[in-house]
Amino acid sequence: MNIHRVWQLAQFELTRLFATKRGLLALSAFAMLWLMILRYPIGHAVPFLSSPEFSGVAQELAGNIGLKALASWPQAELAIFWLVALYSFPVFSLFVCSDQTVGDRQRGTLRFLSLRCTRDEILIGRFIGQLTILFSLITLTALATLAVMTYRAPELLVSGALLAITLVFQLSVIVMPFIALMAVLNLISSSSRLSIVLAILLFTLGNALLSFFSSYLSLIDVLFYIFPGVQLLDVAPHTNVPLLLWILPIIQAAALLAVGVFIFRRRSL
Amino acid sequence: MSTLIEVNQLSKSFGGKKALDNVSFTIEAGTTTALVGPNGAGKTTLFSILCGYLRPDQGEVKILGQPLNHPSLFGKLTALPQDAMLDPRFSIQKQLCFYGALQGFSKSEALKETTRVLELVGLSDNHHSQVNELSHGMRKRVCIAQALLGSPKIVLLDEATAGLDPLHAREIRSLISSLSDEISFILSSHDLAELERLCDRVLYLDKGKLTAHNRNAPSGHSKYITLQLHEQYKDALERLKQLSGVLYVTQSQNKEYIIEYQWEFEQFDIHLLKYCYKCNWQYHQLVNGHTLENQLFQKD
Repeated sequence: MNIHRVWQLAQFELTRLFATKRGLLALSAFAMLWLMILRYPIGHAVPFLSSPEFSGVAQELAGNIGLKALASWPQAELAIFWLVALYSFPVFSLFVCSDQTVGDRQRGTLRFLSLRCTRDEILIGRFIGQLTILFSLITLTALATLAVMTYRAPELLVSGALLAITLVFQLSVIVMPFIALMAVLNLISSSSRLSIVLAILLFTLGNALLSFFSSYLSLIDVLFYIFPGVQLLDVAPHTNVPLLLWILPIIQAAALLAVGVFIFRRRSL
Repeated sequence: MSTLIEVNQLSKSFGGKKALDNVSFTIEAGTTTALVGPNGAGKTTLFSILCGYLRPDQGEVKILGQPLNHPSLFGKLTALPQDAMLDPRFSIQKQLCFYGALQGFSKSEALKETTRVLELVGLSDNHHSQVNELSHGMRKRVCIAQALLGSPKIVLLDEATAGLDPLHAREIRSLISSLSDEISFILSSHDLAELERLCDRVLYLDKGKLTAHNRNAPSGHSKYITLQLHEQYKDALERLKQLSGVLYVTQSQNKEYIIEYQWEFEQFDIHLLKYCYKCNWQYHQLVNGHTLENQLFQKD
């Protein structure tokens, strides 16, 4: 695998979002959505969490759903950001990364590319490109949340910045298998929409079927670890999370990419 | 002469249909090769396998001594695949520069290369156009331009001039002709006159089976000339048979005659033209050997 070509492919993915009309439109929609999240859920929840009258209730409520430690963060904005981002970015990544190779394959553009780089390089290059896009978006939203927090409590800037960096890296790792899953679904479907439909079916029907069968054969439970995001509920409290749950997305992404490489090498273009 | 492409016993089936059946051939450097055959004969399948888009069921392909899809072939083997299009979201220049960068050019070199190839195909004014702003013919020329980036050794062009207006088709033909000293082209087309002008060698595919024709190779102790007259002159066939040096004459089409003559007869063409003048016949075309069409489709 040639690193120069992988990097060229990844860089070109960035221009897809930041230098095309469609990409900029998607980016504006994303910015507006996060503006609303920052303005309302984050903006309104923080005074509730921080006020002396309600903090006890909030702590108790959060404790009931296993998020007690999170509710006690002084950087309350970042706590809300973590919860919102933990569930929204994986779903968002399914949509943003729904056209990694399928559009180019249908149009024939992959035929031009495959005479200049290997299929493995295309798959990995595009994965890295999409991951970089999501990393940038997660960073931007974390920075915006940090700004809101600093406006409320300037003394928390340093601790907040360190926490924000941690959250950005953790969220970036969490979205990795979702991007890799879309890379694989792109190889077996004929459009980006169909890839999204397949992903939805996998997470709903696939999950339901597995739950059904696992009630008869408990060994099947292990198969739940195939699903990206299986650990989300367990990592939500953010503290005392076993290391394996932080590493799991990396293992899942690597496994999915290996499957993708296997399929792509054998696929007709 | 070095071997560029070596294909041995290549087979490919789609379902029960054999698209390629035990196809073997070699292509030497410095030749322009035509790939001819009826629709569904397996031309695009063969092109797709040579480019690495499809995996063969059986057989071996070596390009420049390397197996298919080998990284050392990047930039040396390029192609105009049928029905392939650039991404409509980016300008032509951006995409060609990107392809150049993948081939190892620096930013400025890639831009220089893009300018060069767009000029070659007559699209100098369209650097910043997007593909969907261009006509069908212009899109095809952009795709030809991408195949010429860098210094390719082998260029496969699938129906390169189909859909182009006569002027641009002529420009593409003359471009291929002018580059054929440095690049070995393999062309697929239904335009036999075009292939006749450009190619030294013909690979004829029919129902997945291949026959090769070397257009300039002499056969046995006789030579051929194809004469096309302006009109259907009375007794022309009989009178041509009486010409000295002639061994055999067949009428391939209305007004067209294939003349077999003695191999040692010098300046037979001049001798024939003088005879036409004497018979008061206007000739339309004189082809040294068989026309490609006769070579491929003449039964006797």
